[in-house]
Amino acid sequence: MSTKPGADIQFTIDGTSVSVPAGTTIFDAARLNGIPIPTLCHQQNETPVGVCRVCVVDIGQRVYAASCIRQAEPGMNVKTCSEPVKAARHTLIELLMSDHPKPCARQQHSGDCELERLAAATGVEQPRFPKRTTPRGKDDSSAVISVDHEACILCDRCVRGCDDTRHNWVLARRGKGYQAGIAFDTNLPMAESSCVSCGECMVSCPTGALTNKRVVGTELGEGEVLDPAELLPLPIFQNVSGTFLELNQKAVVKRHYRAGEIICREGDFGSTAFYILEGKAEVFLASPMAHVQTDGTGRGFFRKLKSMLSPREEHRRSEESDRPFIPIDASVDLPYDRPIAELAPDDLFGEMTCMSYYPRSATVRAKTDCVMLEMLRNVLDILQRNKTFRAQLERNYRARALDSHLRSVPIFSSLTKDFIDHLRDRVELIRFSPGQVICRQGETADSFYLVRIGFVKVSEDRPGGELILAYLARGGYFGEIALLSGNPRTATCTALDHVEVVKITHPDFELMLERFPEVRAKLEAIAQERVQENRKRTSQLQTLPVDQFLANGLMEAQSLLVLDLDRCTRCDQCVRACADAHDGVSRLVREGLRFDKYLVATSCRQCRDPLCMVGCPVGSIRRRNSLEVIIEDWCIGCGLCATNCPYGNINLHPFPVELDDPTHPGRKIASTRVKATSCDLCHDHAEPSCVYACPHDAAHRVNPPEFFAGLLKQ
Amino acid sequence: MLIDHTHRKWFVASAGILAIAVAAYVPYSLGSPQGPKGGSALGLMYGSVGFAFMVFAGLLGLRKKFPVWRVGRAQIWMRGHLWLGFLSFPLILLHGGFHFGGQLTRVLMWLFIIVFTSGLLGAALQHFVPRLHTAQLPMETIYEQIDRVRGQLADEARRLVQECCAALEGEVSSATERQRAAAASAGANWDVTVASGMQVDEQASTELQRVLAAEIEPYLERPGSRGVRIGAPAASAAMFRQLRVLLPPTLHSNIDDLENVCEEKRQLDKQRNFHRVLHGWLLVHVPLSYALLLLGAWHAVMAVRF
Repeated sequence: MSTKPGADIQFTIDGTSVSVPAGTTIFDAARLNGIPIPTLCHQQNETPVGVCRVCVVDIGQRVYAASCIRQAEPGMNVKTCSEPVKAARHTLIELLMSDHPKPCARQQHSGDCELERLAAATGVEQPRFPKRTTPRGKDDSSAVISVDHEACILCDRCVRGCDDTRHNWVLARRGKGYQAGIAFDTNLPMAESSCVSCGECMVSCPTGALTNKRVVGTELGEGEVLDPAELLPLPIFQNVSGTFLELNQKAVVKRHYRAGEIICREGDFGSTAFYILEGKAEVFLASPMAHVQTDGTGRGFFRKLKSMLSPREEHRRSEESDRPFIPIDASVDLPYDRPIAELAPDDLFGEMTCMSYYPRSATVRAKTDCVMLEMLRNVLDILQRNKTFRAQLERNYRARALDSHLRSVPIFSSLTKDFIDHLRDRVELIRFSPGQVICRQGETADSFYLVRIGFVKVSEDRPGGELILAYLARGGYFGEIALLSGNPRTATCTALDHVEVVKITHPDFELMLERFPEVRAKLEAIAQERVQENRKRTSQLQTLPVDQFLANGLMEAQSLLVLDLDRCTRCDQCVRACADAHDGVSRLVREGLRFDKYLVATSCRQCRDPLCMVGCPVGSIRRRNSLEVIIEDWCIGCGLCATNCPYGNINLHPFPVELDDPTHPGRKIASTRVKATSCDLCHDHAEPSCVYACPHDAAHRVNPPEFFAGLLKQ
Repeated sequence: MLIDHTHRKWFVASAGILAIAVAAYVPYSLGSPQGPKGGSALGLMYGSVGFAFMVFAGLLGLRKKFPVWRVGRAQIWMRGHLWLGFLSFPLILLHGGFHFGGQLTRVLMWLFIIVFTSGLLGAALQHFVPRLHTAQLPMETIYEQIDRVRGQLADEARRLVQECCAALEGEVSSATERQRAAAASAGANWDVTVASGMQVDEQASTELQRVLAAEIEPYLERPGSRGVRIGAPAASAAMFRQLRVLLPPTLHSNIDDLENVCEEKRQLDKQRNFHRVLHGWLLVHVPLSYALLLLGAWHAVMAVRF
């Protein structure tokens, strides 16, 4: 029977005569007339798909119809709650519940899992059907949304929310039968996908399959709490789900700072990022721009070592960085000569602290009266994935930071302004989540990368396992070896934490090398050095029983303080000598790993895999090309390197300094500042003090591969 | 300090000096009608060289006070101390013509004998004991940290026992027949009542706490093992064997850990003993050496003056 669209039709639902416009579904007709029909896959703002079949009704035909997609017809007699219909619905819910983790995350948090509530309402307690035996897994990669495939009922509400409502086209169905599930992009972990974390899927999900992640400390203690109605009009929150903001209230607050007020201090640990709404702020380093110099005092025989702070101009070390800029956790870098810069409205700072819990890299002070949004990780993660916000951040970066970022890398310091302008609109900012591979060994090279935020691990896949070649911090770069040689990638680069890289495509890279031959020369020299160093490491690995050495981290060491325990009388002269040589702060402990009759003392091993470098908020700890660890002038003494060193070989050394007296402007007060130190091999002397002072010929500084190879041959 | 082939040069040089000294002494001794005298030219030379060697040996202490001074590697100083100190004794004997002389020189010679003997003993100890130390103490720690480590071990033992007791109190009547049979056949020892009936776990918990309070804590909290039975490895092993019988197999790993804690404490005690042996002789050697040097200097001044 055909009916004109728009004309009313008459039919019966549960004995009640109803009249609705033609084209109305039975579900909507029932709802309009106050007759409830349970459903799971259907919600009002989405196109019905009829996949859950919970809304089945008896329309007097051979099979029951899904009311959400079946249009009402004139004269139809619909039964929504007859006993056979209720029995069919009961069986369907039982089937769904048999695979459902009870209670699911949503039911636990808010008690509103639609399936479990429906099961309770229909009297389904213990399903008669067996549970599935193969687990479907969880995806915890996103910082804000938890995905529990076990709780997914394949209703497709999230897929429609993502595609139809938000037009993000990230979510889809994957697999068939028992393998069916929801997938992000090409079945990637959520954090690695192109998901923008708008929260629509989570809001749409009827069960605990997609839930708001309750990260630790999701509420900020003080500040002006903004409700979603106040946040959504802000450009940076455009396209963010209001429900999501509702769920994360108190995770973002508005703060007012008076001119001169300190917003955050370098070295402090924190968990928030700041976005400037109004006003200007100064970002600077308060720590003295100097490194620890251990130098001889006195003359001749009685020369003694003394530690002091010396800036680059006073004491130049070999292979010391000549970077003109210091990388910090903000959109700008600080000039070495005068480490101070200005942050303006729409600038974001504290991203690394917020996402990876690194110490604050610099002190920020309000220059004028400021209004800022302080936010926790869950909110920052949504923003970083928000297209509008990303576009704004990229715009700011291209306009204000690309120049100094490129110039902060010594090899690019000669690039001209017009070429940087050329690059300005062509470079791409790409984010990677912890563990995500940026480029893989053996792949064809198509780009050159410059690290903007976070740490990148460079490793080589070897038959015996992964061999770490380097860690790169902000200002580090990779991908040049393959581009220069035209060969496949020689190493795999992986994001260690939340990483953002600047991608320069192959054609732009070629153009840069063509226009600036000196950049090509420098890059080629560095690529050559890196290749040679990798070869050296590989040859060392091939000549030694790797497992034994790798297990103890000894292969990673370049110089070990080894004590022959058969000679050592435990007199601790070595420790005393070290302390005497470094103002009473010993850089060695006579304890550690034993290998045969040798004790590998706790003293800097000059590791090839220097974990101490990972996380330095200002990138001041690095390796010289000779692979020794060097701590640059701008160390802020946060102590993260000391914490990260797996062997406890980095110490913090206090030095007296004069600081501005906050209570009496213009006056100075005596204070102390710490700088990180590690064994410097008493480089001012011919032999390290610990070895020199050992009366029993028990202490030796050795090259581990040679020393242990000799030992194993015996 | 290992006295090995690396000392060959020192040994040869010392032997050479000694041979020359003895070779010169024989005709000098035979040619002196009243016997060799310390005040003779050769006697004074023996005395001066011997005293110079003693002074050099004594300077090692000063060298150690300033370990970073670049005044020669400490091991050279140590070898010099060892061999020149050793040489100084026969030279002084030759200086005195093997006579102890008057009151002051007699005191000096006895002091020297004690210093020399304690030095020889120290050299022997420092030659042999480090190897024993290394072989017998795989869990060696820094000597100054021993008290702190002992405290940590006591805490660890308490935690392990607490874990066991918590498990036992929640496991009443869960003992298996096999467990009971094993416990019943073990007999009573250490005042431990063998497991029986349904209350085996409660009894075990009580017993474990008693063992902790009466045996383990006193042993771990104090240095040494005087008056504590588990200080002896055999007695300790027997006690832990008994505890294993008493407890369900699921808790045996805790008992293993507890036994390891006691073993570690045993090693700490041993380390303390080794350390005392390695360095205790210095309590005699060092002060007497300084006294010897002072009296020797006094003797030299007096002898030259009068």
